[in-house]
This record gives sequence, C-alpha cells and structure tokens, in this order.
Amino acid sequence: MYLIKNAWKNVIRSKGRNILIFLIVFAITLAATISLAIRQAAETAKTDGLEDTEITAQITFDRQSMMKSMGEAGADRSDMKEKMAQVEGLSLSQLQKYAKSDAVSNFYYSMVCSFDGTDIEEISTDTTSDSNVLMNGKNGMSGGNGQGTFSVIGYSSEDAMTDFISGTCKITEGSMFENDASKQQCIISDELASYNSLKAGDTIELEDPNDSSQTIKLTITGIYSNSASTSEENGAMNQRNPGSDPANQIYTSYAALNGLVKDSDSILKQTNGTYVFDDYDAYETFTKDVEEMGLDENYTVTSQDVERYEQSLIPLENLSTFAGYFLVVVFVIGAIVLMVIHIFNIRERKYEIGVLTAIGMKKSKVCIQFVLELFFVTLFAMVIGLGAGSAASVPVSNQLLESQVESQQEQAESVESNFGRGGKGSGEGQEPGTAAPGRSMPQQAAQYLSDISASVNMTVILQLFGIGIILTILSSLTAVIFVVRYEPLKILTNRS
Amino acid sequence: MDILTLKDVAYSYEESSKKVFENLSYTFESGKIYAVVGRSGAGKTTLLSLLSGLETPTEGAVCFKDQDIRKIDRYKYRSRYVGIIFQSFNLLPHLTAMENVILSMDVSGIKYSDKKKKAMELLKKVGLEEGEAKRRVLKLSGGQQQRVAIARALSYDPEVILADEPTGNLDKETEDEIMKIFHQLVREEDKCIIIVTHSEEVSAQADEIKRL
Repeated sequence: MYLIKNAWKNVIRSKGRNILIFLIVFAITLAATISLAIRQAAETAKTDGLEDTEITAQITFDRQSMMKSMGEAGADRSDMKEKMAQVEGLSLSQLQKYAKSDAVSNFYYSMVCSFDGTDIEEISTDTTSDSNVLMNGKNGMSGGNGQGTFSVIGYSSEDAMTDFISGTCKITEGSMFENDASKQQCIISDELASYNSLKAGDTIELEDPNDSSQTIKLTITGIYSNSASTSEENGAMNQRNPGSDPANQIYTSYAALNGLVKDSDSILKQTNGTYVFDDYDAYETFTKDVEEMGLDENYTVTSQDVERYEQSLIPLENLSTFAGYFLVVVFVIGAIVLMVIHIFNIRERKYEIGVLTAIGMKKSKVCIQFVLELFFVTLFAMVIGLGAGSAASVPVSNQLLESQVESQQEQAESVESNFGRGGKGSGEGQEPGTAAPGRSMPQQAAQYLSDISASVNMTVILQLFGIGIILTILSSLTAVIFVVRYEPLKILTNRS
Repeated sequence: MDILTLKDVAYSYEESSKKVFENLSYTFESGKIYAVVGRSGAGKTTLLSLLSGLETPTEGAVCFKDQDIRKIDRYKYRSRYVGIIFQSFNLLPHLTAMENVILSMDVSGIKYSDKKKKAMELLKKVGLEEGEAKRRVLKLSGGQQQRVAIARALSYDPEVILADEPTGNLDKETEDEIMKIFHQLVREEDKCIIIVTHSEEVSAQADEIKRL
C-alpha cells in the first residue's frame, strides 16, 4: 500500500518529467485509438457488411479452373481449345436442381436468344461491318455459330428483371408483357421503337440468323426507356455486335420465348439462373451445398453483389493497412522514447534507489514503485488520449477515407485516359460495379465505401489498454534492469 | 546476551587483492555501546557494512543471534533488526524529516496505529521540534539531519544500531546530546550500539572498544 502512496507522491513531485511522459503517451494513445478504430471499422465492414443484405449469385463456367486442371493433366492448347468450344451453359433443369438448396430464398432465370430482324432494323453505329460476327466460339450458348443483331431475353418472373427493379429501365408507353406461353408478347426499347416507327400493339418478326426460314412473331405491349444505353461510350464491341447493345434488346417472358425456340437447334440460346440469398452466410452455405450436390469442378458460384461490395471496400482496406503500419511505427517510436526517458529517470534517481535498498527495501519493491509511477502517468494519459481519440476517430477516419477514395478514383480515371476514354469514372446511369458494354470491370470505377462509423467500442478500448500495458512493461523493464544491477553500498559510497 | 558475532571474518575488496582484515572474531552484546576505532583505511566502515549485511565477508561468518546473516533475508534484517546511521546521513532530500522516518517504518512492514504520531515522538526524542519535522531535509542543518538519521534508524525499534561516525560533522554540544540519546537507548531499551568513530571523547564513553 505504501508503494502506491509513495509512487503517487513521486509522480506529483516530478511534474516536469511526468508531463513529458504524459504528452508522449497521450500522442501515442490518440494515434492508436484512431488507427484501431479504423481497423475495427474495416473489419466490421468486411464481416458484417453483407450480413443482413440480400445477395444474388450465379453459377458460371470457371475457364481458369478448367485450363489449370487440363494443364496439370498435360493437355495442350488444341485440347483446351476443343474443350472450350464444347462448353455449354447449365441447362434450366440443372440450375433448378441447385435451387433446391435450403440456403436459397428465391430463384429466377432467363434465356437469351439471338435473332436477326425480318421487318425491323437494329440500331447500329457501324454501317460497314457484317454484324454476324463469331465471338469466341459459342461462349456458352447452344445452337449455331452466327449471332443475330437482336437479343431476345425471356424472363421467368418480374424478379428476374433487375433493370426494372433498380429503375434503370422504365415502361414509358403501353404495359409490361404477360407471363403467358400462349401470348407471345414483348417490350422494346424506345430507341428501337423510334428508329423503326413502332408502337405498342405492333407486331415484329424476327428470324434465326442461321436459318432464315425459322421466324418468330412477337406483339409489342410496351415501350421502355433504358438509362444505361449511351451511344458515345459504347465501345468497339457494340459496333461489331449490335445484339449486345441495350437498345436492341427485346424482353419477353421465358415461357413465351421457350415455347418459340425449344424445338430449334440452330437458334443461339443461353439460360441464366440467379439464386437469391437472405444473407452472406446463406450464400456461403450455398457454395458448399452445390459441391455436395455434384456441381462440376469447372463451374463456380459467383456473386456480383459480393464482388461489388468487396471492390467498394478497397479504399477502406488500404486505409486500414496504412493505419496498421502507422500504429506499429507510432508504438515502436513511442516505446523507444519512453524507454530513453525512463533510463535517464532511473540514472537520476540512483541515489534514491541506493538509500531505499540500504534501509531494507527489497529491489523488487523498488522496481514496483517505479513501475507504478510510470503506470499512473500512462493510465491518466491513456484515458485522456482515449477520450480525445474517440471524439476524433469518426471525422478523422472519414476524412482519410475520403482521400483514399479520391485517390482510387483518380487512379481509375488515369487508367481510362490511357485508353483514350473521357476520363469519366462510371458511365452515367451505369449500375455501379458493373461493366459498361465494351468496358471491363477493373477499369470501371466502383462505388467505394466512403463513409464509415469508426467509433471506439469495447474491442478498441481493450486493445488500447493492452497496448498501454505492453508500453508500460517495456518502458519499466529499463527500470527493473537498472535497479537489479545497482548495489546500495556502491551507490552510497560513490556519492560520499 | 550475544546478539552479533564475527567468526573468523576476513574481507578483501576484490578476489586477488590484499585483505582489509582477517581472522576477525568479535562478539557484541545487547545493552552495551561499542566503539570501533582504528587508523584510516583499517576497515572500520567495512566492518560496519559486514555487520549490516550490505557486504558479505570473503571468509568466515557474521551471525545475528547465532544465525549466519547470509542465510537470512538481508533486506528484512536491515529493515527490522538493525538500524543504520550513515556517516553522510543518506536521507532522501525530497522528503521531509517526518516522511523519511515514516518511509523507514513502511519498509519495515511493522503495523503502526498512527505512524505520524510515532514519527513525531521519535523526532522529539532526538531533539527536533514539530516545525523542523515538517521541513524538507535539504533545509535542515547537518546536526538536524543527523538527528533525523538517528530517528529513522530507531523507527522500527531495532535491536542493534550501527552508527558510522554519527558525530563526525557535529559540534561538541550536539555530539554530547547524541551520545546522551545512545546511552538512554542502551540503558532503557537494552539495545546494542556499535559506533565507528575517530573521536576519543566518543570512544571514551563506550563500554567496550574494538581496535582494527
């Protein structure tokens, strides 16, 4: 008890030195609090960000995995080319099989078919090229080799029409088609309608690009506008493949489209299924379930929602990494400075140590007293530093994150300008995180997470006090080493 | 009763160096004042260091109540059984006279109901007033500091008091007062007091003289 009392009295007595120690520990605590709060926020964003968020995913062909396994088996380029040409997408029945997993809360699907126009003309900015271009083999589409100028997409339900749900597309005239196999209805883009002088109620005829004798007729029930179809920023790909241009996409029901094309072997068709999950855990469960249900190893579950979210975390993760390094540097430098101050303190008080041990105080108790003195100052500084850090952590972290986001966006714009593009980030109206036609994902600026709640919670407080204890112990070690080495008689004799 | 004994004690500062003394066998009893005298460099202060446990003998043994002090906790020995009065006082300058005495009580581990009161009594016993007791040691004279050092050595009622030139820096009058206190302690409290001194007046007042 007297050790605590004496330590406290010594702290009060040596104001100058202890104020210096206080300031150093305060600065370390302030920096550490903000760094730890940032790291905690990043961790929370990473683990909890998708926790209660609905996630969608698809099962896609994993070309990289296939090439790797074929390479390991000794296959050459021609083998791989042959294999890739044979790849077909999963059929609807296969997709529906995996939808039976308990983790799936909803499942919808669509089919994309490629047609040429018989009595309508596609919208194309390339007047010279043949629009029937072979692209990378079949690209997972079954049917013939020629792709048409129109993409007819059949949706299983309105849930599948995500562009309409997100507001990218809107009906501007007429109404949505009915989900009825007997009614071959469709909606077309306003650009296509305008170009071909079409309106709701008109009928359009499309033909198989591989067999012009095979035609289908669809009745237009509505016209939609698509805020994503920009003409200037469509790349070279759209000029060579008008079917990829959103303006040339015709929407209908899956039932109607399937009814029209199911007997055709030449029409290019691709079925896509989307699985919906209530949260990230369900998504993770699904990735395991499909393996158990027999999904081929060359297919994989991918989620644009998850990828988009992970992409949005890049600046925050960069900031968190920086905060981690900063914390280490501050801690190391702070510890060294404190140790040096403590060494000088001990040397200054050598006589006191000599007297205390001469009158019978054990060296261990002398050490404890010195440690307590440092601990009092450290504790006080940490409490004040924690308070200041708590107040500053949110605004400072958001300011730093904003800088990181700006830096990331500038980087993306710089890359865009290297390709001679406008230097704009995302296209106007472009759904965040998705690639605009003709533009690949990495070059497209994602919507980065730019606002976090890097507030101080119990975890941060505990981590901080852990750091404080380590700091006190390291600094006090110098006291212990010196005190243990000192012999009272030598000290007192030298002084005499 | 024999309270401290030296049995064939020898000491040298370093292993290969010349011995300060050897084959020293002394006995010290309770209720007596001993004066240790000798020329400069004879090893008087070294003898006191050995008796206090601040040093260990190169040969032989120092025994407290027939127990070799190397086998007992020397910190406890110095804080409970032996009171040391250093030649240069060795008080803590940033503390008051009273705080120096109370610190010694704290270190001894003995429980007191009112340490301040006990400390004040001791300081008065050695001739210090209340005002002086509350003053920082730096602001006291040599004689006053010596009195504080004596009070500190007595604070836990040790059985043995070792004093290294306790009157060396004091005037005659103060010296007499200090010796009066020692006699009182021996007579009334049966303490064993061992004084290292150059002073013939002091050694003349001792019950026994040990020459080195």
